[in-house]
Amino acid sequence: MQAFDYKKQILEPIKSLQGAPRAEMYVPGHRTCAGCGPALNYRLTAKAAGRDTIFVGPTGCMYVANSSYLCTPYAVSWIHAQITNGGAVASGIEGAYKILARKKKYDGPFPNIIVMAGDGGSVDIGLQAMSAMMYRGHDVLFICYDNESYANTGIQISPTSPYGANTTFTPPGKFIPEGNTLFPKDPPQLVIGGHPAVKYVATTCVSYPLDLMNKVRKALNVNGPTFLHMLSPCPKGWKFDEKLTLEMGRLAVQTGMWSLYEWENGEYKYTRIPKKYKPVSEYMKYQGRFSHLKEDHIAKMQAFVDEKISKIKAVAVEAPVPTPKAGA
Amino acid sequence: MSINVPKDREVPFGAVTPAPVNQQELFITSNWRIIRPIIDHEKCTRCFTCYISCPDSCWSFNEKEEQMEWNWKFCKGCGICINECPADALSAAPELDFPDGVVRLEKPF
Amino acid sequence: MAQEKMLSGCAAAAQAAKLAEVEVICSYPIRPYTAIMMELARMVANGELDAEFIHGEGEHAQLSVVLGASAAGARAYTGSAGVGVTYAGELYSPMAGGRYPIQMAIADRTLDPPGDFGSEHTDAMTFRDQGWLMGWASTPQEVFDNTLINYRVGEDPRVMLPQMVCQDGYFISHIPDKVILPESAQVKEFLPPYKAPHPLSLTCPVSHGPQIRPDQGAPMDAQRAATFLEVPKVIEEATADFNRIFGRNYNPYLETYQMDDAEIAFFVQGAHATTCKSAIRNLRKQGVKAGLVRPRWVRPWPTLQIAEALSNVKAVGTVETSTSYGGAMRGGNLIHELRASLYDLPVRPPVTSFMGGLGGEVVLLDDFYYMAKILTQMAKDKKTHRHVYWIGFEEE
Repeated sequence: MQAFDYKKQILEPIKSLQGAPRAEMYVPGHRTCAGCGPALNYRLTAKAAGRDTIFVGPTGCMYVANSSYLCTPYAVSWIHAQITNGGAVASGIEGAYKILARKKKYDGPFPNIIVMAGDGGSVDIGLQAMSAMMYRGHDVLFICYDNESYANTGIQISPTSPYGANTTFTPPGKFIPEGNTLFPKDPPQLVIGGHPAVKYVATTCVSYPLDLMNKVRKALNVNGPTFLHMLSPCPKGWKFDEKLTLEMGRLAVQTGMWSLYEWENGEYKYTRIPKKYKPVSEYMKYQGRFSHLKEDHIAKMQAFVDEKISKIKAVAVEAPVPTPKAGA
Repeated sequence: MSINVPKDREVPFGAVTPAPVNQQELFITSNWRIIRPIIDHEKCTRCFTCYISCPDSCWSFNEKEEQMEWNWKFCKGCGICINECPADALSAAPELDFPDGVVRLEKPF
Repeated sequence: MAQEKMLSGCAAAAQAAKLAEVEVICSYPIRPYTAIMMELARMVANGELDAEFIHGEGEHAQLSVVLGASAAGARAYTGSAGVGVTYAGELYSPMAGGRYPIQMAIADRTLDPPGDFGSEHTDAMTFRDQGWLMGWASTPQEVFDNTLINYRVGEDPRVMLPQMVCQDGYFISHIPDKVILPESAQVKEFLPPYKAPHPLSLTCPVSHGPQIRPDQGAPMDAQRAATFLEVPKVIEEATADFNRIFGRNYNPYLETYQMDDAEIAFFVQGAHATTCKSAIRNLRKQGVKAGLVRPRWVRPWPTLQIAEALSNVKAVGTVETSTSYGGAMRGGNLIHELRASLYDLPVRPPVTSFMGGLGGEVVLLDDFYYMAKILTQMAKDKKTHRHVYWIGFEEE
């Protein structure tokens, strides 16, 4: 196949909140909970991506709550996907635009194709489709908005639910005092681990909007598959006062529960490393999903986070991986 | 034989709906809130934090008036903007205090 | 220049897809349809066909990929067999209800357990309620022709439905037979380019598939059902055009063979109809007035045409190459819809069914003679003695 110029646009960095594009591509008028973290992530992503965008929306809160009923808040084109197949539907859209451009049936800009999948739709039931899309090298941005549960169905455990979380499938009880006994998957590491076509992976947090929007733009500028893992605090699922959504995000980063970094062509760059990490209890004390935990459970969580944090410097000095040639 | 769907029950072909432009009028959420944010324009530093923090895009900058403008129709009263404002310019007031407060819709959706 | 070639059903399907200028193909290997994709891969690699050839990670992904491609405005093609068809199950209703007219080539395979590469129709028949167009070819030529006809009908603005173009695994998919390949100009005359009504566009943004309330679900279903009332007219137009442009002689709904004076009739779809026709010629030599009705469409089911074709026979027997465990007749699938088609006739012929060809077994000429003997007895007695006979399992 000869090389074909798909008229890929380049999005400029956003320098300030006042300088961010004013146009809303995710408009008011949706049934998401008051204070919804995923909704704010969607809004910021859509704002950064701009008008030449197509969203793929696997089933989840960001499908059902956004599109009730027979109306959506997306000012750009959007298609519902099954929770199982966000990556696959996006692959088909991308392939279609490529062939239509080649056959001169379409001569506009190549769209920003973005999958907005929840944690389940990214690394549980949607894992296969996400991984295959990364492997095949489609020019698509896959976003995992992580509210750490299957929230739309009423808060059930997902592979990113933290240890000790009270969910309706992991309620604490006499025989299972901590509720959730499992430690979560690490979505960006799943992608970074073994997909040669992926050039850029990053984590974001809704409390750092400029950082988030710029990572979205950076990912969209890459000609190939990219992955963003977005922390999306969920007032209903995590059981905190809805006005504290951004506070939860900040505390997640300040305690080490969430790391903010980019991975680009084999190298890690940390966006923010606290000088001194706050104890995880500072984060957990606001959230009803942890209120049943005892000292020893919280200690277990602290140990898990400590190990994760301790690896940060080590990861940064690992032997560099081969960097693909420019334009690949 | 024919299958007739009454006009007022028709759904669009293939469940494809047009995209909204600025607001989705078919899902108004003003009647969700029990508090609303009140802004003190004197204290406001135009930092745009409230603007960027709202999941429902209910703060915008009015270029003509040169001040932040609040969206009465869609604000859910979550209180994030009030909590985040670094200049203490936002405070919460009970929705019932206002003549246009506690919006009732004609039908549920 | 139209040419005649010896092609298997798989090769014929690939040739038709090429001439239809499919734009996005999503592959995944499973016997016995894989050869269609291997052939298309070869064509894409050497430039015979300009298409995006996407290596799906499974059959569920195949359907998902082509759904996205169709929503974006491309003509999309995929295929599968057996448990691959069932694995994709989640996508059939979204594809049909979303009105994405993709085409799925199915070379049938018996469902697990355990592995069995032979042909049964159950894989596709199981999904006949999902709202797709569906029908069986009985020769590689018909596989080729059905590919083009199905795109033409499915993409018609009055229809906009996905299609399953089915062929028996091995018997049709792998055994070469004469296929006339038309010129590209003929195909262009018959098949206009695909025009999605509301593609995922940057300039005219749309939302595909927002959540609905239950009371909005009923009208969705009603509109899908109403479309199927429109489909027969489109099938008739398309078949007439096809016959004219390509020089064939298809009846839009059924193939009838020696039915003018038939007293007993076989109702068979797919490959075994060919053996049936041989059996009928031999039976006729012995004075048995046998005939064949072969449905070319399962969805939409040609109810009136079947009733008309069988209105004067004295006994009918289906050859079931699919299973419906616990079903009303405790046999296969065709018998239920056949009996429903005949129910309103003033005089109903006795109807039975023969479980034959299951697992991919051959249905022999001797089997057809056995069936003819039973049907002849039914005609004489003017009644159905049993609803199901298991070929090869009955005591003589």
